[in-house]
Amino acid sequence: MTESEMIEYDEIVRNCCCSYCGNNCDDITYLLKDKKIVGVRHACRLGASKIINDTDQRLLNPMIRNEEGILEETTWDIALDKVTQLLSASMRPLFYGWGETSVEAIKKGIVLAQQTGAVMDNQSTICHGASIQAFQNVGHPVMTLGEVKNRSDVIIYIGTNPMDDHPRHLTRYTTFPEGFFRQNGREDRLLITLDPKYTNTAKISDKWIQFNMNEDYSLFNAIRTILNGGKLKSDKIAGVDKEELYDLVDIMKNAECGSLFFGLGLTQTLAKQRNVDVLIQLIEDLNKYTKWSMLPMRGFFNVNGFNIAMTTETGYPYGVDFARGYPRYMVGETTTIDLLNRREPDFFMAVAADPVIQFPGYSIKHLTQIPVIQVDTHWGPYTEIADIVLPSTRVGVETEGTGYRMDGIPLFMKKVIDKPENCHSDEWILHQLNERIKKINGDT
Amino acid sequence: MDELDIIINSGSSIIQAFYEKKGSTLKDEYRRSAAIAFMDKKDMQKLDLKPHDKIDVTSKWGSVTLYVDKSHDSPHEGMIFIPKGPWANIVISPETYCCNIPTYKGIKGKIRKSQREVLLVADLMKIQYSKYSDDNVLTEKQLPVYKKRSKISHDRK
Amino acid sequence: MEYIIKGGIVFDPLNHIDGEQKDILIKDGFITDKVSPKAKILDVTGKLVMPGGVDLHSHIAGPKLATGRLYRPEDTRRGIKTFPKGSVQGFETGFSIPSCPTTGYRYSKMGYTTVTEAAVPPLEAKHAHEEIDSIPNLDIPTLTLFGNNWFMLKYVKENNLEDLTLFISKWLKLAKGYGIKIVNPCGSEAWGWGKNVNGLDDPEPHWHVTGREVITALTKVNEKLGLPHSVHVHTNDLGHPGNYETTLETFDCVKHIKKNKNVNRNQVIHCTHVQFHAYKGTSWRDVSSGATELIDYINKSKHMTCDIGQITFDETTTMTADAPMEYDLFRLTGLKWANKDIEVETASGLIPSIYSMKAPVSAFQWAVGLEFFLGIKDLWKIGLTTDSPNGGPFIRYPRLLTWLMSNQKLNDMLDNQVHNWATNRTDITSYDREYSWNDVAIVTRANTAKILGLTDRGHLGIGAKADVSIYDIDVNDFDTTLMSNAEIIEKKLLNALYTIKDGEIVVKDGQITNLVKSKHLWCNVVGLEEEEEQLIRKIKPTFNKYYTIKYENYGVTNHYIKPDTRFDINCNKQG
Repeated sequence: MTESEMIEYDEIVRNCCCSYCGNNCDDITYLLKDKKIVGVRHACRLGASKIINDTDQRLLNPMIRNEEGILEETTWDIALDKVTQLLSASMRPLFYGWGETSVEAIKKGIVLAQQTGAVMDNQSTICHGASIQAFQNVGHPVMTLGEVKNRSDVIIYIGTNPMDDHPRHLTRYTTFPEGFFRQNGREDRLLITLDPKYTNTAKISDKWIQFNMNEDYSLFNAIRTILNGGKLKSDKIAGVDKEELYDLVDIMKNAECGSLFFGLGLTQTLAKQRNVDVLIQLIEDLNKYTKWSMLPMRGFFNVNGFNIAMTTETGYPYGVDFARGYPRYMVGETTTIDLLNRREPDFFMAVAADPVIQFPGYSIKHLTQIPVIQVDTHWGPYTEIADIVLPSTRVGVETEGTGYRMDGIPLFMKKVIDKPENCHSDEWILHQLNERIKKINGDT
Repeated sequence: MDELDIIINSGSSIIQAFYEKKGSTLKDEYRRSAAIAFMDKKDMQKLDLKPHDKIDVTSKWGSVTLYVDKSHDSPHEGMIFIPKGPWANIVISPETYCCNIPTYKGIKGKIRKSQREVLLVADLMKIQYSKYSDDNVLTEKQLPVYKKRSKISHDRK
Repeated sequence: MEYIIKGGIVFDPLNHIDGEQKDILIKDGFITDKVSPKAKILDVTGKLVMPGGVDLHSHIAGPKLATGRLYRPEDTRRGIKTFPKGSVQGFETGFSIPSCPTTGYRYSKMGYTTVTEAAVPPLEAKHAHEEIDSIPNLDIPTLTLFGNNWFMLKYVKENNLEDLTLFISKWLKLAKGYGIKIVNPCGSEAWGWGKNVNGLDDPEPHWHVTGREVITALTKVNEKLGLPHSVHVHTNDLGHPGNYETTLETFDCVKHIKKNKNVNRNQVIHCTHVQFHAYKGTSWRDVSSGATELIDYINKSKHMTCDIGQITFDETTTMTADAPMEYDLFRLTGLKWANKDIEVETASGLIPSIYSMKAPVSAFQWAVGLEFFLGIKDLWKIGLTTDSPNGGPFIRYPRLLTWLMSNQKLNDMLDNQVHNWATNRTDITSYDREYSWNDVAIVTRANTAKILGLTDRGHLGIGAKADVSIYDIDVNDFDTTLMSNAEIIEKKLLNALYTIKDGEIVVKDGQITNLVKSKHLWCNVVGLEEEEEQLIRKIKPTFNKYYTIKYENYGVTNHYIKPDTRFDINCNKQG
């Protein structure tokens, strides 16, 4: 880790943007020696691990798998031509990933998807897509993180463990820092965690409410019922004593400004978007009494940016199918896992993502039947099933670009060091593919 | 007791995420961080498991061998947590119920003590998916294996 | 490229050209009086020729739009159109909240060349500029939200206009903004606590500053800096029966403030979407129009302008920085509510809205808007807007014009189509004005440009930007007052015969023929740089403490505004 005092450096670059999670911390300091990053200050353990990472698995040259099934280095021209050829011969291409690249690259990807009639999808499809569906069903009462820092006296985390997944969420943005109206920071706030597990976030909370797995909906519904003056018929809801829920409603109603964060604990269990639906309705109801807002804990530093760029260009947030010459968005139909489970795609490209880490094995199995392209910085599990590998660069370290924080604040991420010689940015790679496809489309 | 019915949860853990982002996914350190099931102490006692013992986790969707360790988030009897990654993915459910998100949490499964190997990523990929090879020979590889071109000719301009 | 636009019937009110047959010459992107023999001739004999359309208030780019699209796929689905074969244009999506490319296509096809994005929070200004990058064929000034900014509130409380001036001047640079927007001053800050302010003199909870103090202070600063546009104000109490009194007080509260002598506009305050601010009564049950009183004030005053925010009877999406109002609407309608509070700066909200001819309130609001169009005598005081998409999407402008150009059409609506609240609760039947093409050119081009302070457009004089729109209407053989022609007018105005932007044809026969990058228009105050830097040194610690991003990462860099048009404003400190 980063023991900065021990590190020898000859250059210091401040206010860099972290390229790990949806916090997009923009106060990171890089310590450089001989134009290499040797130290990182202010970043959490996860952020730092991405900024100074292992070089022995770094992808450095384009590769194509040879007849023996071994990846073999090649030139950019050969690799890009080969991708173009496979792509233009395919009927049902699917582009996935994008959570860890810039909006500038994503926009090039959208152009490529339009040109080739591909499906364009990102990690929302396996993470907060359900939250987006809930926003579409019910509403979208959110805030920027500074509102929480400056105003909130009650903060609730549900089905999320930021101490592990978004380590600086509490320390930089919500719970611990001094805010304009919360000059004593942590002391001025009540922190509550609702989770089936005693997570690290629960451990530092003032109150932990443990509830049963897969019973999120009934729990939130009960809370909402109490808030709206109804009576609970059972003494325990989702394993929680009803007195505890009455207390919770009291706390929520009497907050001056409440903030609620929720995570994949809600979207990846059985009731999925319905869990979020009822939570949004709870927030809406609470606003009759006092101020409440909510926010999904978005994972990668630019999953939100993808949703935003997609709506900018097409109106739809993710899972967009261009096969018919205009965008279609049908949850369960034009979304990645559903497509793979139906064994539909005949070309798959992941940009800045490792589907093998992220997808169910049953879905991954289809990737063994079709051409698979990797555009990424590191050799990962996905490389083991990739047919063509295009080595790219790290946004916010080797390449500049825009990222959107979980609350929608855009940040410009700097380029600080040079990229490995034969790597290219995602934006460049996609631009090259666009140009090649354009040429082929123009020729016919 | 030989076998235990459990609910499988998967999700991010800080250790697994650390090694994933560090880019050391082929190595043993990543295996140690992600090919692991975190269990309630009581459940471990039922199967006579100690930390670093191994179990086979089986669900409707597949079976995988993992290390076990004591959960720091307990009590959660009857529930195991597997950090997200290629191992967890074998047993989680691809079912989206037409709502695009597969079911990563709350999957029914069984566990039993195991003597089998916990595979490294490359071997797991090879054996589980057999995209380029049908043999079941383990490579034990922890670093990229690829064919270098002695001299990469320059791209045509 | 050179062009001769030959034989058209030209309406150029700023140059007092009212329907003359006249050639317009274009060279290198500007209107000229001489072209070489190589000039290409566009024979548009007898057709309607006007300057390119200028919209002074629309919502087309930025976080509100992104939220709207994200949570309303049903709206995106409504406007789906595959790309025309062989065209440079791509597919279209969306109705009230189109995708960015679609927004460009549709405005361009309507003959518009400049469209103002009316509400940008500086913290998310990069987002707005990124979206502008995806909108083709327009010039886009953005108005920066200041009406609930904490620094502003502090300076107003301390009556520190010097620092407020520097703050505004610097913040326009940081946000790459064109002008000062004030939305429900103090009300959106109160919304941080789930509250609102009630009227112009109700202080917000912490700084105890009032809307009146904010508006007057920012108007003084605006005139001190000499920004091309005046303050652009969305007054308190939007959409509440009884609000017309607040609106009158707002009109009046800045009348003594002296206009900067270097500016071209007439007004010191522009009050936007006045239709939403013109209601009498105590509830939606006993509501009636307050337009007559407001029109009377406007007719007698010289210091203000307004735009209307006309209702168009559509299912649309409302979006505003007036977040508490959106929550009120949610309580009223129960439709899905979106809200976003933005630290230190503002709040914002969205909700779908269904304006129906058969609904009493919609019909009433529709008639109130038309009252302004028909009642304000001097059209140089108004601009045509629907507060798109709040009152209705901008593609309804042509339809709105048919209501204004034909009494027959309007009366048919009143008699046979809309709920009787339109006539019973307003004075709409007391007007019989009909808009001429010249009037149309004033409220959609000449005056909207003038109000914005954009002297290089909105007219076709020598040296003006060659932004021209030509419609397939034979002016002298076409009776705009006939109801039977309403549909034709709408169709022709939606699909320009030619739209020319910066001297290049971008639309021909209602089809996009050329895609050019939209320009980002912004104001750069010159002469205060050193003092601005001193101010920044002073406030940076506070900034970094209460924002959640670093000051260094806050501003919109040049990366986001390619290409731009920078207006250097030489600040005469004496004003």
